[in-house]
Amino acid sequence: MRTYFARIPQTLIMCIMMMLISCLFAVCSGSAASAKKAQTECNIHEGACSLQLTGRTVALEISPRPVRAMADLTFRVTVSGPPLSGTPHIDLGMPGMEMGPNRVNMEKTGENTYTGNGVIVRCPSGKTTWRAAVTVPETGTAAFVFDVVY
Amino acid sequence: MWFTESIYLVFLATGFTVGFGHCIGMCGPIVISISLQLKDRPVFFPQLFYNLGRTVTYAILGGIMGATASFTRFAADVGGLQKGILVFAGILIVLMGAGMTGWLPAGRIFKNAPPVAGFAVSAYKRLIAANRAILFLPLGMVLGLLPCGPVYTAMIAAARTGMDAGTTFSGMLAGAGVMACFGLGTIPALLLLSQVSNVKWLKHRDMIYKTGGILMILVGVFFTWKGITY
Repeated sequence: MRTYFARIPQTLIMCIMMMLISCLFAVCSGSAASAKKAQTECNIHEGACSLQLTGRTVALEISPRPVRAMADLTFRVTVSGPPLSGTPHIDLGMPGMEMGPNRVNMEKTGENTYTGNGVIVRCPSGKTTWRAAVTVPETGTAAFVFDVVY
Repeated sequence: MWFTESIYLVFLATGFTVGFGHCIGMCGPIVISISLQLKDRPVFFPQLFYNLGRTVTYAILGGIMGATASFTRFAADVGGLQKGILVFAGILIVLMGAGMTGWLPAGRIFKNAPPVAGFAVSAYKRLIAANRAILFLPLGMVLGLLPCGPVYTAMIAAARTGMDAGTTFSGMLAGAGVMACFGLGTIPALLLLSQVSNVKWLKHRDMIYKTGGILMILVGVFFTWKGITY
C-alpha cells in the first residue's frame, strides 16, 4: 500500500505531462491557418530564389554568399504586384526538426523590397538543409528550402 | 510583471516542445546513462539537479547574450569549447557504458583506480557513488554547454531581448530570463525519460543491462566523433 501511494506523484506527473502534450498538439493543429502555401528547393548560394504565390512573385536573397550558418546574414525579400499592407517576416527552421522560433523581422527598404538580419544556426546532427518560410501579408507563405555551409 | 511578457512564455513552451523531440535525441543518452548508472538508488533528484544545472548554464549564456546583444560574437568565441564539451560527454558516456557491461575492464578499473589515475577518474567515481543528488548539478552545468540547435535559437532570442533592453544590466536579466525559461521548459521531457529508463525489472535483467551498456558505448563513440568533427 505504501509503495502504491509512493508511486502516485510519479504517475500524476506523467498524466499531467501527457495532458499538456495533448493540449499543445490540439492548440498547434487548431492554429494552422488556411493561408496559401508554396514551397521550392533552390540553391541560395547562386543568388535569389523565387516562387509564385497567389499571383505575386516572392523572391528571397541571402547575403553574404555562400550562406553560412552561425554568421550574421542579411535577408532580402522582393514581392511583385501592388503594395503590401504590412511587412513580411521570415521563419527559419529545419525540415523535420524542431529548432525553436527563429524569426527575421523585416523593414521596407524599397518599393517592393524588404530587408532584415538574422542567423541560421548550426545543427550538431550535421544536417545542412534549412527552410526559410517567408510570410507575406494577405498573400500566404512561400517556403524556400536550401542547403547552408557549416 | 516580467513573466507575463510573451517572449518568456514562448520560450518556456518552445523548451517544452523541443524537449520531447530534439532534447530526448541529444541529451537522452546522457539522461539514460545517469539513470542506469544509479541502478538501485533513486534517480529523480539526481536527474532534477542535472537538469537544473543545464538550466543554470543556459541562464548564464542568456545573460551574456543579453548583455552583449550579440550572438555571432559569442558563437565565434566558444566554438572550440563546445567541441571539447561534446568530446567530454562522449567519453563520459563510453565510460559509463563500459562500467555497466562489467565484462569490460572499465568498471573494475574505476573501482580500484590508483591515486595516479587522475582527476577524471576520481571525479567519475565520486559522481557515480554520490549519495547527494546536488553533485549532479555541476555535471548538468558542464553539459549545458553542449552544442545544440534549439539552444542556439534561444540564444539568438536572448541577444535580441538584449538589443531591445535599455541598459546592459536589464539586457542581461532579460536574456537570462529567456534562456532560463527555455531550460525549464525542457526539463519535463528529460525527467519523464529518466523515469521511463528507471524501470526496475529492466535494470535487473542482466542481458538487457549489458546490451544497454554496449549501446551506450556506441552512442558515446558517436558523440565523441561528432565532437571531433564539429
